[in-house]
Amino acid sequence: MKKNMMIPLFLFLTCYVLSFLIKDTISLELTNKNQAPSLSHLFGTDWLGRDMLLRTLKGIQLSITLGVVTALLSTSLGLLLSLLAIVHPYLDRMLSWLIDLFLSLPHLVTLILISFVLGGGFKGVVIGLMLTHWPAITRVLRAELLQLQTMPYIQISKQQGKGFWWRARHHFLPHLFPQLMVGFTLIFPHAILHEASITFLGFGLAAEQPAIGIILSESMQYLSSGMWWLAFFPGVTLLLMMLLFQRFANAFKHHLERDRSYEHYFNG
Amino acid sequence: MKKFGFILLVIVVFALVGCNDKPTPETNAKADQANELTLAIGGEPEDGFDPTTGWGRYGSPLFQSTLLKQDSEMEVTYDLATDYQVSEDGLTWEVTLRDDATFSDGESVTADDVIFTYETAKKSQSVVDLADLENIDKKGDYQVAFHLSQPQSSFLYTLQRLGIVPEHAYTEDYAENPVGSGPYQLVEWRKGEQLIVEKNPHYYGNQPVFEKLTFLFSGEDQALAVAKAGEIDVLSVPITMANQEIAGMKQISLQSVDNRGVMLPYPEPTTNEEGEEVGNSVTSDPAIRKALNYAIDREAIVDGVLNGEGTVAYSSTDDLPWGSSEIAIEDADQERAEQILTDAGWERGEDNIFEKEGQKASMTLYYPSGDQMRQSLSLVFADLINEFGIEVITEGASWNEIEQEMHANPVMMGWGSHDPLELYSLYHSSMQGIDYYNANYYQNEQVDQYLDQAIHASTEEEANEYWKLAQWDGNTGMSTLGDAPWVWLVNLNHIYYVRENIKIGEQKVQPHGHGWPITDFITEWQVME
Repeated sequence: MKKNMMIPLFLFLTCYVLSFLIKDTISLELTNKNQAPSLSHLFGTDWLGRDMLLRTLKGIQLSITLGVVTALLSTSLGLLLSLLAIVHPYLDRMLSWLIDLFLSLPHLVTLILISFVLGGGFKGVVIGLMLTHWPAITRVLRAELLQLQTMPYIQISKQQGKGFWWRARHHFLPHLFPQLMVGFTLIFPHAILHEASITFLGFGLAAEQPAIGIILSESMQYLSSGMWWLAFFPGVTLLLMMLLFQRFANAFKHHLERDRSYEHYFNG
Repeated sequence: MKKFGFILLVIVVFALVGCNDKPTPETNAKADQANELTLAIGGEPEDGFDPTTGWGRYGSPLFQSTLLKQDSEMEVTYDLATDYQVSEDGLTWEVTLRDDATFSDGESVTADDVIFTYETAKKSQSVVDLADLENIDKKGDYQVAFHLSQPQSSFLYTLQRLGIVPEHAYTEDYAENPVGSGPYQLVEWRKGEQLIVEKNPHYYGNQPVFEKLTFLFSGEDQALAVAKAGEIDVLSVPITMANQEIAGMKQISLQSVDNRGVMLPYPEPTTNEEGEEVGNSVTSDPAIRKALNYAIDREAIVDGVLNGEGTVAYSSTDDLPWGSSEIAIEDADQERAEQILTDAGWERGEDNIFEKEGQKASMTLYYPSGDQMRQSLSLVFADLINEFGIEVITEGASWNEIEQEMHANPVMMGWGSHDPLELYSLYHSSMQGIDYYNANYYQNEQVDQYLDQAIHASTEEEANEYWKLAQWDGNTGMSTLGDAPWVWLVNLNHIYYVRENIKIGEQKVQPHGHGWPITDFITEWQVME
């Protein structure tokens, strides 16, 4: 069980840490441009002689940072909104309506709109992703909280005069923690893929940033001249990273949701 | 069962891919069956085909014809006109028209149409600059006299660029239904898709060989794929795609003045009347501007970024009659650049970047983010210059953003015209901050004077003399030898693939804009047997 979880996480983190060792500006070697993948350049080089492996790793680093930030923000937003929902039925109705509204719109369209209005760039993408990825987790949390509220121990706690925020901290949060973790791990790859796609479409990160979406959209112009490695390796790397994280997320979910009632028999 | 399904799927996919893999090009091109040509040269004109609003600036207006034109040696020859005379004071231009020219609807081209065209163009205040044109006299059915408010040598180029439109057929939607006296007439224009034209039976000039032309307006990749299937006779490709082999087509690489260079803000930081920031504390130092020009290795950029499909640029007018040949410098000379900087008091700091009185030699170079050529040039420029010791940070932005920044920051720009007026627009102080012209707020009184003299010269030779003096008179000038307000880098070659049996003849040095200029001599194209 542990192995399933740790190996993907380890690989994932290794890639991330490795990418920090690369300096920010990848040197241009015009004598070495348009090289197909070889031993000296595993992913080949682009039309300015930049090593594609380094560019891809840089892109992955940016993607992961962005993914973590947005996943954190969306989860926090979801938690906050779902807590508000149980304060008053009126707020709850409003929230449900908002969730339905956002879920009925295709993610990508809303995302493009928001990012475009905010002028794109890192900020635009992060805010856009945050505002489009909160509904699913909010709905789960809200349902969980509504159910929790009717629990006898919560009711007792309430009768004993504990305030709302006290209950939120001591009863709701610990109970919601597994849901939050699962929500976080699910939003994370989603956010990264969405970031790559809107950047690819030209509404996301600026052309300066070494994002995977930028690399992919640039390479489109070179595909017809046969430079397949410009798009292939970055795309596959992005996919692999997402799969690794998904593996980890699944294993982690199972780990959190395991039936603990028998554990003390085994552990003594 | 599942596994079997997967294998089947793989087989089907491979079979499909396999089918696509073998295109069967029709080796006998359309060109020799029905004297038709299919061209994919991009550049669909958004505003349509009205010369009075700018159509035909580059290449031939196709549907219309002009009074004068340039041959492949850039010499002025006659088109609709049979003669022109400039008065002693340079204020009156008398043009005699040929009397056998007719529009494609059969009406003849008269002095009234010429007058109508010039007056319409003047009123529309578009890219055609006719501010100095005071009035036009009709001297006869086939003779007009243009009266200018001051002598203007560049009027000669206006006569070459402005296609004559018919007064009787000039309606609201003329731009979409052009009628003119050019070699071809419009059959159908499906916006965003294609333009079909056929031979104008009334054309007075050389009869073109091709009865019908189809211009495709598809994306570059799409056009390339169609060309590979043998369906296109003339294809323009960006330099990045120049390494293609297309069966049955030959590659033609045309030299151009389609230049790219880094525009350096000239004055000290200040603000203009509109409150925009102007000037840059680093690039306002002539030593920095010169050092940049000497340190950069233009040859390496031509080889590296353009794959050799271009020429080094030392000015915006290389190889044009009004370009000066004296201003070429020996570049890639970092020692000299270092010398220039040290003489001006700059010293290398700890990080190898030059500094002077606490000011770091650092600048942000903007480029339009959608333009991959300018992006590559900017990145390579920054790389080479950073290595030398001046910090250049590149930043991609939309043209809207660049307009906000371009007076105070270096920008990767591109120009190149067959009209020397462009020199005036780029360097004369009266053009400061007008559109993209003289966006770096360059100003030199002596240069202004030469430019004024050039524009008001009465003969072409005299004008060219002054255009050259403005670049370098031995003492000052706007070229690298003088104030160096630009780092001109390269002229991009224009690359076309043309069916092997089509001969397009000699072309002149190509202007800015890749595509239409190749149609300039379309009436002279031949099919070889």
